[in-house]
Amino acid sequence: MERGTSGAGATGECLVVRYAEIGLKGGNRRYFEERLQRNIRDALASTAPARVGRAWGRLLVFPEGDPAPALARLGEVFGVASVSPAVGTEKDLAEMEAVAERLVGAALARRTAAEPVPFRVEAHRGDKRFPMNSVEVNRRLGASLLAKFPRLKVDLDHATLTLGVDVRDEAAYLYVDRLEGPGGLPVGASGRVLSLISGGIDSPVAAWLAMKRGCRVHFVTFHSYPFIGEATKEKVKDVVRRLSRYQGPTLLLVAPFAAIQTEIRKGCPEPYRTVLYRRMMNRVAVRLARRHRCLALVTGDSIGQVASQTLENLRCAEDASDLPVLRPLLSYDKRETIALAERIGTFGISIRPAEDCCTLFQPDHPVIRGDPEVCRQVETEIDFERLVEDAAASCEAVRLAEGKPDRVLAPGAIVPSPPTPDPENPASRAAAGSARPLAPEDLV
Amino acid sequence: MNAPPLAYLDNAATTRCDPRVAEEVERFLLEEYGNPSSVHPLGVRAARALREARETLARCLEAEPAGVVFTSGGTEADNLAVLGFARAGHGRHLVVGATEHPAVLEAAKALGAEGFETSVVPVDRGGRLEAAAVAGACRPDTAVVAVMMANNEVGTIAPVAEIARAVRAAAPRAAFHVDAVQAFGKVPVSIRACGADSLALSSHKIHGPKGVGALVLAPGRRPSPLFHGGGQEGNLRSGTENVPGIVGFARAASLAAEGVATEAARWRRLRERLARGLAESSPGVVLNGDAERCVPTILSATFPGVPGEALLHHLETRGVFVSTGAACHSKRGGSHVLLACGLPEEAVRSTLRFSFGRFTTEADVDRAVEAVPPLVSELRALAR
Repeated sequence: MERGTSGAGATGECLVVRYAEIGLKGGNRRYFEERLQRNIRDALASTAPARVGRAWGRLLVFPEGDPAPALARLGEVFGVASVSPAVGTEKDLAEMEAVAERLVGAALARRTAAEPVPFRVEAHRGDKRFPMNSVEVNRRLGASLLAKFPRLKVDLDHATLTLGVDVRDEAAYLYVDRLEGPGGLPVGASGRVLSLISGGIDSPVAAWLAMKRGCRVHFVTFHSYPFIGEATKEKVKDVVRRLSRYQGPTLLLVAPFAAIQTEIRKGCPEPYRTVLYRRMMNRVAVRLARRHRCLALVTGDSIGQVASQTLENLRCAEDASDLPVLRPLLSYDKRETIALAERIGTFGISIRPAEDCCTLFQPDHPVIRGDPEVCRQVETEIDFERLVEDAAASCEAVRLAEGKPDRVLAPGAIVPSPPTPDPENPASRAAAGSARPLAPEDLV
Repeated sequence: MNAPPLAYLDNAATTRCDPRVAEEVERFLLEEYGNPSSVHPLGVRAARALREARETLARCLEAEPAGVVFTSGGTEADNLAVLGFARAGHGRHLVVGATEHPAVLEAAKALGAEGFETSVVPVDRGGRLEAAAVAGACRPDTAVVAVMMANNEVGTIAPVAEIARAVRAAAPRAAFHVDAVQAFGKVPVSIRACGADSLALSSHKIHGPKGVGALVLAPGRRPSPLFHGGGQEGNLRSGTENVPGIVGFARAASLAAEGVATEAARWRRLRERLARGLAESSPGVVLNGDAERCVPTILSATFPGVPGEALLHHLETRGVFVSTGAACHSKRGGSHVLLACGLPEEAVRSTLRFSFGRFTTEADVDRAVEAVPPLVSELRALAR
């Protein structure tokens, strides 16, 4: 399947981006490619603007400046299987030889030991009008490099240094390094999901894994203000802002949860509290998911990790969701989750101390093997339809992106804000940071 | 503007800058911005302002101007004293109170890596340190004894002069450091009366700007410096002087020292009003600390059965801002101060700190007294 470049320049320093799985997607291939192209362009826009073109089953990125930051950023774009910093040249053997010498010379200079370096040339000829076939290109470039660098030893099977050559219609591209990308599918290619996120370590990792499989992730967090403070919400925002680097500006919904927890606390049997909170979270989330056209929920559950994550209790929670609940961490050990959290940069934020769940709401002895039937039974004690409705209707909505100011889309209705700043009183100004001026009913 | 909508009762965490101070700071940011080391008129005037600030601080604390070392705040002052005197001293042993600020406790802990041992002296239920207990912890090789004059969480005042005498007798070669960050401006503080080798002070606790403080040294006492460079502050704190901050600090200090007598009486009435109001309207409330010997600006109260964080945030929706424990570590586990006073963990988690400043009014206190009881009963009802 041969295709020319679209909008990409030809010669000079560039990055050859390979993708793996999207090549397998048959009829959808063009859609996936375009999605990845757009995602790369967006990802590079703020830090390392570049032209991004599609060519012969690869993407070609031409950074406007230094390619190093662009290369680093591509390591965070899902769908990228590998990247090679490359040089595009005229399809002229002398020029190609010059570029090959420069690239191989630099690669050899990075190797300290003076031992022989097993080496090969791997050429592909896309432009069939080019007078030499790939075997001839291999031989000619190989011969000139061997003459120039005595350390090189041809070894087709065990090469540790490979010069790649792609001869295309518009130019020839040469490269020696190949850096692994994050793999996965381009974000957005698989549709939208809603991730339930807390201040903990697991849920951000679960959301990241959903992104890796091409999901665009919206977030909802449940905030029991004023039983816990604004600082916890800020922490969640920091996590989401960090995750936005993998998918661009990201929607966070903050659902007020104090009323729901209070009602359950008052009206339902203590051991079932946590399970019931989870059920209510799922109900609110499902409602929000429908509003924002998300096809599934994502949680950070791992089987048996805590009392609320036994199979029985997962079933109780799922029973209250009529959307699929995706659990990417299902089989992860805590150690594995932490390692990933560190890699994606959320761990440091997640371990920052902040209030989690008010002790008033925590049961002393949570049920380990909950029964959905019992859940449904005890929920008749509370007006859960109305509670879910209220929580979903009064969410704060904010769009977050790393390095950019937050964009408040909806200020939230029930969660009381801190008092209005008093211009005469700097202390109050420091304390108030909310999007909404204080309504009189908040202060009575 | 009518009455402020906010009862800010967290002055032990930090205070609003006094407008008279802010004006002074602004002038030194915008007009008198010279470097005191420069030799042109702008620099000379900055050097003069710095000298005057030093003299003001010295006057406030009955110290020598040459003994005033400006720092970035109370934490640096404590670190300079603890680390500096330990490294300059003869011994390998430190004595600290159990309720010291983390600036002292963590500095002492860090010295562990340099071979120092630390003895921690327990306090009584009121948070009070006994002189005999401090002296009893001293050894022949004690290099530094550090105690705080007024505790930041419960307000209890230590008998520093008495401790000083006991320490001199038990360990004549030890440096005696007093953390006066919470005491200064609330009760009279004098380095001579304390019998201390050094005093740590902070500007933002007395309505001055943040980012400035001082270590005040008794004549002839000299810790090893933490920073090396241009030799400013008598070679004890290199780095271009924070002139706007220092000038503001000096202004704040003289305002605080001037007003301490009248303000203290006013704060005592406020504290009494708050204590009575809380006790009358919230059954079961326990007041912590030592009511007889405390700064009048801090009241620590335990509301049994009520999670402190929840009460704090409910209060903030009523425009009453307080804290659980100390602001600098209210985000981490339980308060080491309250635990050291012997409070059970559950009580520690149910404790709030109310603290006053120059701008605290009766109306602020009344607002808290009105807001607390209904919230306490509401939260208690939930806990049942």
